[in-house]
Amino acid sequence: MSKPVFEVENLSLHYLTRFGSKVHAVTDVSFEMQQGEILGIAGESGCGKSTLVNGLMGLFIPPLYPSAGDVRVAGESLMNRSEEDVRENILSRKVSMIPQGAFNALNPTRKVKDIAADVITAHEKSADRSGTYERLAKRFELFFGNEAKRVLDAYPVQLTAGERQRSVIGISTLLNPEMVIADEPTSALDVSTQKIVIKMIFDLLDAGIFKSMIFITHELPLLRHVANNIAIMYAGEFVEKGTAEQIVFSPKHPYTKALMGAMLSAEPGQKSRKPVAIEGAPPSLAKEITGCRFAARCPVARPECKTGKQNLRMLDDRLVRCDYAE
Amino acid sequence: MKLLRNLLKSPMFVIGMSLFFGTLLFALLAPLFYNVTLDRVGEQYMSSGSGYILGTDHLGRDYVSLLIKGLRSSLYVGFVAGIIATTVGTLIGIYGGFKGGLIDDMLNMVTNLFIVIPQFVVLVLISSSMQEGRSLTLIGLIIGCTGWTWSARSVRAQASALRSRDHIALARMNGDNTLAVLIKHVLPYLLSYVFMIFIMQIASGILSESAISMIGLGPLDTQSLGIILNDAKANGALGDGVWWAFIPSTLLITVIVFALYLINTSMEGVFNPRLRRE
Amino acid sequence: MLKQYPTARFILQRGGWYFLTFLVAVTINFFLPRLGDNNPVDIIMGKAGSGLSTEAAKEKEEAYLKEFKLVKLNDAGEIVRDDVGKPVRASSFEQFVNYVKMSFSGDLGTSFQKYPKKVLDVILEAVPWTIALQLPTIAFGWIVGNLLGALAAYRRGLFDRFFFPGALFLSAIPFFVFGMLLVYVFAVILGWFPAMGGYASDIIPSFSFSFFGSVAYHYVLPFFSIFLILAGGQAIGMRSMGIYELGTDYIKYAKWLGLKEGRILMYLFRNAMLPQLTGLALSLGTMIGGALITEMIFSYPGLGMAMLTAIQNNDYPMIQGVTLIITVCVLIANFTVDILIGFLDPRVKAGLQMGGN
Repeated sequence: MSKPVFEVENLSLHYLTRFGSKVHAVTDVSFEMQQGEILGIAGESGCGKSTLVNGLMGLFIPPLYPSAGDVRVAGESLMNRSEEDVRENILSRKVSMIPQGAFNALNPTRKVKDIAADVITAHEKSADRSGTYERLAKRFELFFGNEAKRVLDAYPVQLTAGERQRSVIGISTLLNPEMVIADEPTSALDVSTQKIVIKMIFDLLDAGIFKSMIFITHELPLLRHVANNIAIMYAGEFVEKGTAEQIVFSPKHPYTKALMGAMLSAEPGQKSRKPVAIEGAPPSLAKEITGCRFAARCPVARPECKTGKQNLRMLDDRLVRCDYAE
Repeated sequence: MKLLRNLLKSPMFVIGMSLFFGTLLFALLAPLFYNVTLDRVGEQYMSSGSGYILGTDHLGRDYVSLLIKGLRSSLYVGFVAGIIATTVGTLIGIYGGFKGGLIDDMLNMVTNLFIVIPQFVVLVLISSSMQEGRSLTLIGLIIGCTGWTWSARSVRAQASALRSRDHIALARMNGDNTLAVLIKHVLPYLLSYVFMIFIMQIASGILSESAISMIGLGPLDTQSLGIILNDAKANGALGDGVWWAFIPSTLLITVIVFALYLINTSMEGVFNPRLRRE
Repeated sequence: MLKQYPTARFILQRGGWYFLTFLVAVTINFFLPRLGDNNPVDIIMGKAGSGLSTEAAKEKEEAYLKEFKLVKLNDAGEIVRDDVGKPVRASSFEQFVNYVKMSFSGDLGTSFQKYPKKVLDVILEAVPWTIALQLPTIAFGWIVGNLLGALAAYRRGLFDRFFFPGALFLSAIPFFVFGMLLVYVFAVILGWFPAMGGYASDIIPSFSFSFFGSVAYHYVLPFFSIFLILAGGQAIGMRSMGIYELGTDYIKYAKWLGLKEGRILMYLFRNAMLPQLTGLALSLGTMIGGALITEMIFSYPGLGMAMLTAIQNNDYPMIQGVTLIITVCVLIANFTVDILIGFLDPRVKAGLQMGGN
């Protein structure tokens, strides 16, 4: 087995509020990513995804602090680095981000090629400008074909939403990062554009432009097509992690089951389910939490759930954080 | 309302409101406690200490009386102009922004026209051609009728954004006609916004009045803060160092406008929390 | 055909709109003074027929009536009078057409007060002073104010704490009021700078160092009266704009990409500056008006003083001429800013290309 491209070991992150108290946004998250792997992370809003993302990029900017654990890209740790170090050496080079609503992420008063060139000048010393633009043209040709020149010379307002989305993906992967985090890259796009974007991601991955990807979305059926493995996040913890098939077709954790049940699935081979909304809201992470974090909303909760801490255990070849699941 | 409570927590709001209402109360109640007279009470430009706290003007009149009268006039013009400008601007803005289409385009054209033709020029042209009958109300009216443009623009932007909001769409689907929708749904939402506009329009009105009075085209046969300044300049008080002829008036204008700006800024901070100091 | 050149189309479109506005301005300039009951035109008509004026005044009045074609003229150019010797009025329409013709040919009539000097000549003497004072002041005030505001938005904290209330207070003071304060402190009390004039009264204008030195010396107080207040106001606006832009998606993305801080600041300024330019266009009229009054405080020999003396002497052709020129200046300034925005903001031209307005 080759060395993992990206490793996260018992990562915990917290926020310091104005009053000095801590909010434990992410608790004890661990996973590894191999070359060519796409890991899907799913969960409802407020589960800690955004905080996790900042942590995975090494962006421990106050009021966000790491409480424990380690994050390693190609063996190098992201912890205990200065902000300038992270900016120059990690961002865009080792770990890159495709933000949510990517088509608004482009500076409206700057041409695409200039934004892309900015990434190069920010990370490489003495970049020769004319060489830069050729490099951009070659890279953009990979996914835009002969439209590349038009797109590069354009202002964002002159491009369609899909073209902007693809430009952002191209800019984020310009320096061939080891790991790319894609936050809802296909939401708010029409179906045909979604297909183009996903194809682009696969093409880049196959060509080795980037080595691994974390794909964040709340659309589980989409992950079935895109991801190799899926991790379900709730209240700052992973509650289930396994292969895409396992999670989508045989979820074990009550939350995962509820998530799957909350989606209408038109997959062949799956019985159509009735949409069931999960009632209630995630617990506040400002206080110490005893027992299972999902207990308050769990349809099959037992009294023991409220007291004993739930740890991840192997069940049916995947990890589940529930002592009573089967 | 929760809004009010949030506002009261902001020091800017409290200071601004206190300053403004303090000045307003002073203007309204002072004549009850002080003998306000415009008769000649002494020599020209007597300094303070001759029994009158702020001395006398070029006609020997008591400055405190002049200031009280001037303050009342300026505030009055500010309010008149503010009410008119806010009403006109809000109506045009709401109607155009909400309806969209041809009506919006036409109203936009009119607004743009009024924006580019300087309010100052219109004021001068009208005032200079009226040798008599330039009352406070008339000046306030003209200022209001020429100063509504930016309010219309701001309100239009808000109304335009609201047009596509869900609860409006629901109301329309229920069959309410435009006017009813405007009154029942749009207006309450915009109310606080319109209030902020009103504050700024009052400030603008006071500033415009002092400007037009400064060049001698202000209201006739009365006092205002701008007229006091004009008299000071015209009679050489500036060059002769007669500071009580213009400093108090200057201070009053600045304080009132500053107070109104504080109120406006603090309200902006409540609506857009990022603006508050973090 | 023109669709090929969006830039040209844009300029023509804006130019056309401003030309239209100019026509409206001329119309307003003509009609507004005639609105009141006791307007100057009527007064002069009344006086001209009643024989109450002195010979000199009569000459002026008749010249006024003839120039502006307020009365009917016979073939010899003489005023047509009725049985009792009163001039026969021309119709408003005739007067208006004549006024438009005059305006387009640059003839603004003859001044009463400076008879027989032409209004345009008086204005042309004053305009350079006004432009020399206002153009740099407004430009620098805008630039410096916005830079300070952007800085305050990016680095909150102590700088912001003191800077913000200070700038807000400054922005509440009208230009001319501040001018009076500056004159009192720096000219009357401290005696460091002159209180009045564009240059010392004992120097004759010439291309000499002593003249330009005197001009510079007299420039300082009027400049700062406008500059400081303007910069304060812009800083406040830019600070809000900057804070808003800091939360936008593209700034967050720029940070995630690891762009250098200076580059991100440039992104911020470049984008926040656009609505500020639009705001400038909206308030240019008021700014120029305020600056003109400031000129009056300093008896600065620009359009402001020209207008003031005209008003004080009931010099109606002069008042009408000056207001028209002021309006033209404001229109030109607005047009320039509009074009500037069009060049700096790609979304504006793109909006045109997509057929919008």
